[in-house]
Amino acid sequence: MIKSKKGFIQISFPWLFAILVGIAIIFLAIYGVTKLIRTEQTIQDVKTGKELGILLNPLEIGFESAKTTSLTFPVDTRMTNDCNVNGEFGRQLVKISQKSFNQWTDTNLNVGFSNKYFFSKSLLEGKELLVFAKPFNFPFKVTDIIYFTSSNDIYCFVNAPEDIEEELSNLGQENLLFDNCTEIENALQVCFAGGSSCDINVNPNAQSVEKREGKVYYEGDALMYAGIFSDKEVYECQLQRLMKRVSILAELYGDKAELISSINCNTNLEPDLLQLQNMAESLDKSSEIFQLTNLVDDIDRKNKENSICKLW
Amino acid sequence: MVKRLKIKGQMKIQQMAFMLMAITLFFILVGLFALTWRFAGIKESALALEEKNTMLLATKIANSPEFSCGNSFGGSKLNCIDADKAMSLKENINYYIGFWGKNVNNIKIETVFPVEARKDCTLSNYPDCNVIDLFEKGTQGLPYWNFVSICQKSTDEGRLYDKCVLGKVFVYSNDDEEK
Repeated sequence: MIKSKKGFIQISFPWLFAILVGIAIIFLAIYGVTKLIRTEQTIQDVKTGKELGILLNPLEIGFESAKTTSLTFPVDTRMTNDCNVNGEFGRQLVKISQKSFNQWTDTNLNVGFSNKYFFSKSLLEGKELLVFAKPFNFPFKVTDIIYFTSSNDIYCFVNAPEDIEEELSNLGQENLLFDNCTEIENALQVCFAGGSSCDINVNPNAQSVEKREGKVYYEGDALMYAGIFSDKEVYECQLQRLMKRVSILAELYGDKAELISSINCNTNLEPDLLQLQNMAESLDKSSEIFQLTNLVDDIDRKNKENSICKLW
Repeated sequence: MVKRLKIKGQMKIQQMAFMLMAITLFFILVGLFALTWRFAGIKESALALEEKNTMLLATKIANSPEFSCGNSFGGSKLNCIDADKAMSLKENINYYIGFWGKNVNNIKIETVFPVEARKDCTLSNYPDCNVIDLFEKGTQGLPYWNFVSICQKSTDEGRLYDKCVLGKVFVYSNDDEEK
């Protein structure tokens, strides 16, 4: 009896050694596979972000500015919209995170574009993102602004001016509603003439869009939509990037004016364009945009009046 | 007897250790092979994405604000490059390094018709030239191109007029070797 008990607890050294090394190998394999899955997820996120930018190329040149494009993902997706103002044009940064095994993939890699301007909430979530674009002229064409919303976010426009309602209705975007939408639960109310339960207040006279996080100022419909659909932080950063591009384009047009003046094609716009170049470059926040309004209108008028030597 | 048993046991341990080491090495090698294969795929898909970007760029670049004719030449025109503006862009090209994507090596605008001897444009010989080489990198890289109208302000015996010719815009992408 004692003998068999002793035999029961005895494990020979080769067995013990094999078990320990076996456990180590299994742990290493599990660790390796987990790491590999995470890397795969990161690759997928970055690839999606890059593809997103490339797919939006036709929108950027105004080919499809009158309709909404829908981007549908196979799984729940988060898009983080970020931007920086470093360098000549700043940079549009996009980070994609997708749901995998009921958890959001965690990637720190941003995909960047210098020639794109996305206006949206800083964090968009959903299986379907709805995108439309609108040209931004200041006074010349600067770019096509791209607006992102999630199909989960419903926007209810209350007392919107007729032209705005017509333009947005023509997009056929399912999450932009106009009539009898105030009762819809969780709908974001966009009011144009004030109101008690408004989430977003647009003041066309003051040219401002007010949200919980603060007020931003706009010039023209393209920037008004930008103010409605994006967070304050995103709006202010992208506006600064847009003004950087205005500044460089003003320099290009100034040089063009000088070039064509050599064949007696005079525009007399060089001093104004130089002023616009300097003022746009130094714009820090949206409230300063009104300092440029008169100058921009003046340049636009002078260019339109010149029937032979138009710069744009 | 005990000594023989001990030697036999040691041999077994050695055999086991070698076997386990061989298995571990085998798995490591398989893992490394899989990783190499996978990362070669990533490079390929990154290149494919960049190529797609360049291809689309060639079709859209003529309509971007830096190149487009706008209303300068009588009404709005699609796929029309303002050569005067492109020359100003050439003079300020330093701002635009990396603007159209890291893989864009060069952008070139060439007159196709009327056929003339090739002459690179500089500020001193413009408009008596027919090639605007924006980044001055010649034909390095993989070219993607699109037909465009090239317009400029011109004079004939002191009379101003809009001169438009048929041309091509080339976008050169960094090829594999350069990466």
